[in-house]
Amino acid sequence: MLADIVSNLSLGLSVAASPEGLLFLVIGAFVGMIVGLFPGFGPAAGIAVLIPMTFGLTPTIAIIMLAGIYYGSMYGGTITSILINTPGESATVASTLDGYPLAQKGRAGPALVMQAIASFFGGTIGVILITALAPSLANFAASFGPSEYFLIIAVGLLMLTTMMGDNKFKGFISALIGFAIGTVGVDVMSGQQRYTFGSPELIGGVYFVAVAIGLFGIGELLHCILNGQHRQPAKRLRISFRDKEFWPTRQDYHESRFTFWRGSAIGFIAGVLPGSGATLGSIIGYSVEKKIAKDPENFGKGEMRGLVAPEAANNAASAGAMVPLLSLGIPGSGATAVLLGAFLMWGLQPGPLLIVNDPEFVWGLIASMYLGNMILIALSIFAIPLFVKFLDVPYVNVVPVIVLLCVIGAYAINASIVETWILVISGLIGFAMKKYGYSPAATVLALVLGSMAEETFLQTYIISQGTMNLFWVRPVSLVLSLILLTVVVVPLAISLSRKAKSYKANSTRKV
Amino acid sequence: MKKWFAAALLLLAIGYTAYGLSTLSLYTSSGRPAAGFFPLLIGVMLIVTCTINLWNDIRERRAEEQAGVSHTHQTDPVAEGTAEAMGIHTDALDGGPEYGRDVAITFAYLCGFVAILKLVGALPAMLIFMLIFLFTFNRPHPVSNVLYSLALPGGLYLLFKVLLNASLPTGPLGF
Repeated sequence: MLADIVSNLSLGLSVAASPEGLLFLVIGAFVGMIVGLFPGFGPAAGIAVLIPMTFGLTPTIAIIMLAGIYYGSMYGGTITSILINTPGESATVASTLDGYPLAQKGRAGPALVMQAIASFFGGTIGVILITALAPSLANFAASFGPSEYFLIIAVGLLMLTTMMGDNKFKGFISALIGFAIGTVGVDVMSGQQRYTFGSPELIGGVYFVAVAIGLFGIGELLHCILNGQHRQPAKRLRISFRDKEFWPTRQDYHESRFTFWRGSAIGFIAGVLPGSGATLGSIIGYSVEKKIAKDPENFGKGEMRGLVAPEAANNAASAGAMVPLLSLGIPGSGATAVLLGAFLMWGLQPGPLLIVNDPEFVWGLIASMYLGNMILIALSIFAIPLFVKFLDVPYVNVVPVIVLLCVIGAYAINASIVETWILVISGLIGFAMKKYGYSPAATVLALVLGSMAEETFLQTYIISQGTMNLFWVRPVSLVLSLILLTVVVVPLAISLSRKAKSYKANSTRKV
Repeated sequence: MKKWFAAALLLLAIGYTAYGLSTLSLYTSSGRPAAGFFPLLIGVMLIVTCTINLWNDIRERRAEEQAGVSHTHQTDPVAEGTAEAMGIHTDALDGGPEYGRDVAITFAYLCGFVAILKLVGALPAMLIFMLIFLFTFNRPHPVSNVLYSLALPGGLYLLFKVLLNASLPTGPLGF
């Protein structure tokens, strides 16, 4: 087993550590950090907008670069959380709770260094666990039939929507919209055209890249404008790693030594579970650390452990999210859904067979994540003054860059003006979805998985001769069906019991 | 606006289902599900959920009107979930005044940009968009606006056209 891992990793390193691989890994990590810096512009948008930039590359190098953007954004998002109390990415919200108070205490330097170390620790632990778990999970998943796959997709989407607080219902609608868009084009089973309205451009379906760029890129951009980000002046900050006060003290390391492990473990589990991801992982990491601390009153006032825990967790979670993507072909978040779309665009079919059929790609990607984390810790510490300079650029100058990248990128994919208009419409829908509490991530996830969901659902229907009993006669399907029921029934029961209690309380008051 | 968006979604759901029913068959001659089966399933679920959603939004709006308070700022689900988990108000994460007019202007510029893309070519369209956008929102810096409007489209054009060999629309000027 260990020998297999070592030989697979050396195969991966031969791909990832090639001059081309390293170059695009550095570019991806660097761009990812910049993407993370700008509030409101998350990794899903960053990857979607930059997919067209990978045209001239081989699939493995392209995905290595896009994955670098994905986990690089986790590093970058914290810089603004610490320095200006504005999380660059939703997964770094928890880092503001103690990161910003640390900066206010004059400890911005140690906070930035410790977050970089925590991110590296969490990211690396996550990749080690991917190395150990992904092949085993892929082996296990090789016996899965259509019913299991359909249920995994359903569980993933439902978990994604149930993580949305009061907006579960809108999240469910968002997923259905994604499925509906996914039905446009030629039906794989019968070859019949659906919803093409006679347009030859729609025969191949609605191309997911244009929709993803629109929903995430333009949608988030318009939402940032609505919040007035373009009216805010640039933040002029100066920081130098030559200062003595820049480095953490021995006490910082000593106090956080177990926090690194706890945060990483919690984050990885949250990342592997579909739908929860880095945001929830970092919040749980923070809460657990605060709960078990002997001095919880210090949290929120500039406690280093309060920064280390969410940072280790969100980076481990972003690595953990790659496990279901690589071994099952099921993404659990918006960003990994866009990555899956990029896989498909490059002709790679993620799933149990990917590791067997394309080991160079899978192990190249995993090895690149080890290297990527090393590059990112170096960038996070020694290039902090440079990244801080990016915050000097006012958002009003960033807006046209994003618009140009989105429009030119969407057009360049297939030289299609129809797809460019799809981008514009998706942008408007994405903006409205964000504003009114729907989930663009669920839409993209459902769009990317739509054809797989339909195929596996119909296969299950046909094999079971319309009875759908495959959902409960096969052991794995039965477990998944029970999880699905739990995800639907438990929140419903809780909400009904709350309503009943408040009704009772109201009627007692009236009496 | 929230309820109008919900209403638009419901109308689209009805249109999607009706069009599917009129153009696609549900079963093959051998009784197996055909091309219209899955869309019908999705369509019916969409109609049901969108109807409930619209009803909820209308009820929420009425309750707000009766209480005399209204949520002026809707947030994204991630922010709401995060705020809920942290036990703080969502506005603490994502709040403040709104700039709806600026959104409308930006979106109009974006539509204009795409509309002239094939007409004048990629490079001039990018340049025009940049100039108009920056002179609308960043008026106090005319020189930097002009320099930025020349440099960025030029750089992007070189990147896509020359380095990536991507197909970009060509206008009467040849680029």
